[in-house]
Amino acid sequence: MPQSKKILLVDDNAFVLQMMSKALIKEGFSCRKATSAAGAMEILKHDIPDVILSDYHMPDVDGFAFRQELIDLPEYKDIPFMFLTSEVDNKLMLEGINLEAVDYILKDTPVPVIVSKINNFLNTVRERHERTIKELSVAAMALNLHSVPQQLPVIKGFEVDFWHKSFQNYPGGDFIDFITIDDRYTFIVLGDVMGKKWGAWYFSFGFLSYVRAAVRICISNGNFSTKSILQKINAVVYHDPVVNDVLSSLSLVMIDAANGSVKYSGAGDLPLLYYNSNTRKANRITSSGMLLGLMIDGDFNETELILNKNDILFTLTDGIIDFETPQGKRTDYDVFEKAVEAFFDRPFREFKEGDFLKEKALEHVDDCSLIYLKKTTDDTFNQ
Amino acid sequence: MILLTNNYKNALVAEIQIKEANLTISEQFKQQMIELIEQGNSYIIVNFVKVIYVDSSFLGALVAALKYAIPHKAEVVVCGLNKDILGLFQLIRLDKAFKIFGNVDDAAVNGIN
Repeated sequence: MPQSKKILLVDDNAFVLQMMSKALIKEGFSCRKATSAAGAMEILKHDIPDVILSDYHMPDVDGFAFRQELIDLPEYKDIPFMFLTSEVDNKLMLEGINLEAVDYILKDTPVPVIVSKINNFLNTVRERHERTIKELSVAAMALNLHSVPQQLPVIKGFEVDFWHKSFQNYPGGDFIDFITIDDRYTFIVLGDVMGKKWGAWYFSFGFLSYVRAAVRICISNGNFSTKSILQKINAVVYHDPVVNDVLSSLSLVMIDAANGSVKYSGAGDLPLLYYNSNTRKANRITSSGMLLGLMIDGDFNETELILNKNDILFTLTDGIIDFETPQGKRTDYDVFEKAVEAFFDRPFREFKEGDFLKEKALEHVDDCSLIYLKKTTDDTFNQ
Repeated sequence: MILLTNNYKNALVAEIQIKEANLTISEQFKQQMIELIEQGNSYIIVNFVKVIYVDSSFLGALVAALKYAIPHKAEVVVCGLNKDILGLFQLIRLDKAFKIFGNVDDAAVNGIN
């Protein structure tokens, strides 16, 4: 069921407030009420509505001054705003309309008309918003910018897959890449730029370029150490004024198909989850590295694992371990671990289609990424 | 107001007033922290006692404030983390970047030493 639209009603007349909110709730909206601009500002701190409906004539701060106050605050300025007033003065209406993204409703308008006006207004705002996103996405596609891979790599003896969902379908701060060096070596890259939406998305390309360059340079120098690759990326990010104000986590996994091993180093990332099919136990592989660009010495380490047939390695970002509860949001790795353990012996596709990720896709509040790596054979091959 | 500040012993305590510290407040939080550092506060205790959840954007802002503090010879420490948030700090090694205290008093004692 779609969530009901949230309206913040602001009117100094408690009776009007009560009547209007009752009528709108009956029409399927959810309402917050404030009897003054100051009261509305208090509510906005904790709860951003889909639209604000404000009276014009109010003591202390009137509707126009309230609107002006919102326009001056970047985090509130884009909330759709409508005046609800008994004022019929054309000049006043014009003044109101000039205050950006507003519409005007007279109080004596019948409720069904008010409802359809609100819906039309919200639809217009939404369509404009969608059109902007579409145009930006088209531009990004034209530049061939992707922060998640368009296809899966083929690695002898391994199966790789991933699940990714962006924040409210905006491209976001998570980036995933598979770098195939040759038949033997493949890198898995998973990063999370600490932010969301377009800003984080833009920076994710910057980080990804550094990662790709560092991997290629190290490999061409015969350096197959994930730790030293991270050290190089960290040094560049730390000194580069373009990206050093933005922090990013990174998990870097190098697969060696020749001996079935993986090397892992991490920077401020979540532990990997490693399932050992012989012992039938899962445990977390934690790295010591700090977020990229935080300190000149990121304190990186390197873990090497030999994977046996049916062993699995999960790499993830924090959206996967965030949950909605009746008490509010919380973060808990155990919940993910419990959800995934029933699928260790089943195809990853089943987990992707299962309830855990389905619910995450519906209610998630952050970018979510999960990369699956499974050893499928006992064989190793020689170069 | 995201941060409620008061002077306590030799420290400036900045208590986060928001339950869910996420993207919507992270940029404002960062700006407020930068202002506090620029005002010459050399020991800032960020108190999380009212916070139940943080997302990566907010942590990014906290870490950006720490990076800003270092060349300004200021120290940023945290206290009052709930179990989940403390767990998250440890999971992603932020416990190596920040000194973490149980409460404001413990954090303030550290500031004097």
